[in-house]
Amino acid sequence: MTLEGMKKSMSSGGGGTLPPEEDRILGAFAGLAIGDAAGWPAARHRSLRLAPWSRRLYRELDAFAEERQVTTLPVPFALNQPVEPLALGPSDDAEWLAWTAATIHEDRAEAFGRLAQRDDLRARISVWSALDNLAAGLGPPASGHDNPHFFDDAAAVRAVAFGAAGMDPVADAEVTNSGDGVLGAVAVATAVGALVRGAPMREAVDAAVAALPEDTAIGHAARAAVAVAREHGDPFSAVPALDAALLDHVYSYGVTAAETVPIALALADAAGPAFGAAVSAAACLASVADSAPALTGALAGAYAGYEALPRAWRETARTLAGCCLPELAGTDLLDVARTLASGGPQGSQAQGAT
Amino acid sequence: MTVPLAPAGSPRDRARGCLLGLAAGDALGAPAENMTPEAIAARWGVLSEVEGGGTDDTEYSLFAASLLLRHGHALTSRDVAEAWRAEIVARLDGPMRGAGFSELGTVQALRRGLGPPLSGRWHPHGWSDGLAMRAAPYGIFAAGDPDEAARLAEIDGRVSHSGEGVLGGRAVAAAVAVAMTGAAPDEVVEAGLRAVPEDSWTARAARKALAIARDTRERISREEFARVLHDSVVVKHYPWTDLAPEAVALAFSAYVRGGGEVEAAVVTAANLGRDADTTAAIAGALAGAGAGEAGVPERWARRVGPVAGRCLPVVAGRHVLDAADALTGRPQGGPADGRTDGPAGPSGVG
Repeated sequence: MTLEGMKKSMSSGGGGTLPPEEDRILGAFAGLAIGDAAGWPAARHRSLRLAPWSRRLYRELDAFAEERQVTTLPVPFALNQPVEPLALGPSDDAEWLAWTAATIHEDRAEAFGRLAQRDDLRARISVWSALDNLAAGLGPPASGHDNPHFFDDAAAVRAVAFGAAGMDPVADAEVTNSGDGVLGAVAVATAVGALVRGAPMREAVDAAVAALPEDTAIGHAARAAVAVAREHGDPFSAVPALDAALLDHVYSYGVTAAETVPIALALADAAGPAFGAAVSAAACLASVADSAPALTGALAGAYAGYEALPRAWRETARTLAGCCLPELAGTDLLDVARTLASGGPQGSQAQGAT
Repeated sequence: MTVPLAPAGSPRDRARGCLLGLAAGDALGAPAENMTPEAIAARWGVLSEVEGGGTDDTEYSLFAASLLLRHGHALTSRDVAEAWRAEIVARLDGPMRGAGFSELGTVQALRRGLGPPLSGRWHPHGWSDGLAMRAAPYGIFAAGDPDEAARLAEIDGRVSHSGEGVLGGRAVAAAVAVAMTGAAPDEVVEAGLRAVPEDSWTARAARKALAIARDTRERISREEFARVLHDSVVVKHYPWTDLAPEAVALAFSAYVRGGGEVEAAVVTAANLGRDADTTAAIAGALAGAGAGEAGVPERWARRVGPVAGRCLPVVAGRHVLDAADALTGRPQGGPADGRTDGPAGPSGVG
């Protein structure tokens, strides 16, 4: 083992230097979870582990701040409850990625159909609306099309698993999304797939952008975002220009695939191997900080590889909280990624991801 | 009830009924917007009396009418975009009052230099009911020709909408075009549905809603109708109410349940809640086109004056009856007569 290899082995805490492709698959998963943790909405999602009354108090404190004109804003807090859910850690996107990886070889409508019978989930508007459609007998692609949030990035997040596995994300994406929502998944799977196979970042990003028709919002935005970020050179410098070029701040939810996927492509492209620069720049874009850092982290992590990611962040982001899919509480995302990298899970083995 | 000057059943009479019904529905539904049927029942019992003025539905319909009067059948999406830039975007110097996501998103897209169709795709609200709410004038203008009415509505919609939002506009325009011939409600809504693909959210939602209206017309109460309809077509996990497939389905269903009668159609729609001003405006436009001006309850018609321009300053002072007359070939600029407290001042449509 080379000195570099030993260092990598020690820093990963694992059993040795990973094969390059597995390193990059684990990097995509860990990178997504780190970005997921880095965005400010993570603590709000993780607070779903706390009692509902504590979140009611949170909303009342928010109203108090408005009424009394105080700039001291509330943050998620624990009163008479464990504080561990509010520690830095992954939230919704990492859990949905884990669920996807664990069910990836199943028929997508069937996998989602099981979720449609549950009432203990937290999910994006597109996913819930699709589950409602499935429960009413409307299957894909209509379940993703007759959907008020067909354009959001739920499928783009799940597409990290499909890209890592070298699989087509469309059948999965069409369960919950349509139009730009499906294209976002295609772009993410294209980029992650290329990176996992060892492509340079620029080649992977260009391939992803090429998969997006120019006359769509996401295609137009992706070209604009990549051009803006390349012009500014590094991710942090590009933040104001990306905000101006892409974000209208008109709509109440910041998970539009036409915004988050182009930002992720642009920041990962500008960062190259500088994983931390890409993710922290995405986290600066407050309105899209729920998922843009996660998607950015997936791309940058797939390029850098797991062993090159900051060790402290890797450890912080690997254990799932179960804030969206309660059965995933305590699941090691790295185990999920390793299973996917080794070709599993197969068929019915994937029923439970815990 | 006033005696309309236009002969009953003439294009002009139907056009006046259509836009008067639209404006009355807009005004009646406005205070119930975003409310649940239960909350509406708790507050009003049955909401049937107009309390205030109309909103964006009426003002944007007047704007659409002005496009038709200027360009007629030769209207292009480029003309529409130019009008948005000159008459909406250029006049904005602060908040865009009364604007929904699709309108403000379109303004932002136009400010970025985008044009149709990308201006209608850039924002995520391509499916909003903002085109359906202003599509009635296209049906008036192309009375009896639902294909042409739908084509014109789509030309308008490509600036601000995409996908199901365009389809909602096509459905309403085509339905109004057939309502303008005096056809029965079932025939009218079928014409609306023929203007959209069977494999669309709009068609699926409207079919479900119409089946409920037809199957239950005489058998279930207003409350039960609202409950069944909500369970069937109202999206549960989305907080905003401006989805075109949902609004068109609710409006068509209320119109059919009301048997095409203006008051019944409009009251049914308004009491369903959700985007109540828009659904009641669409139901009112369909029923008004069928019934003519005399079909609109006089106590409502009296409340319909020139619009204030609260949402679109460019149409301030215009009256729907002037627009109706102009769209059906009457020379512009004359008084909109026939009612004692009718519209004053310049019609200025176009």
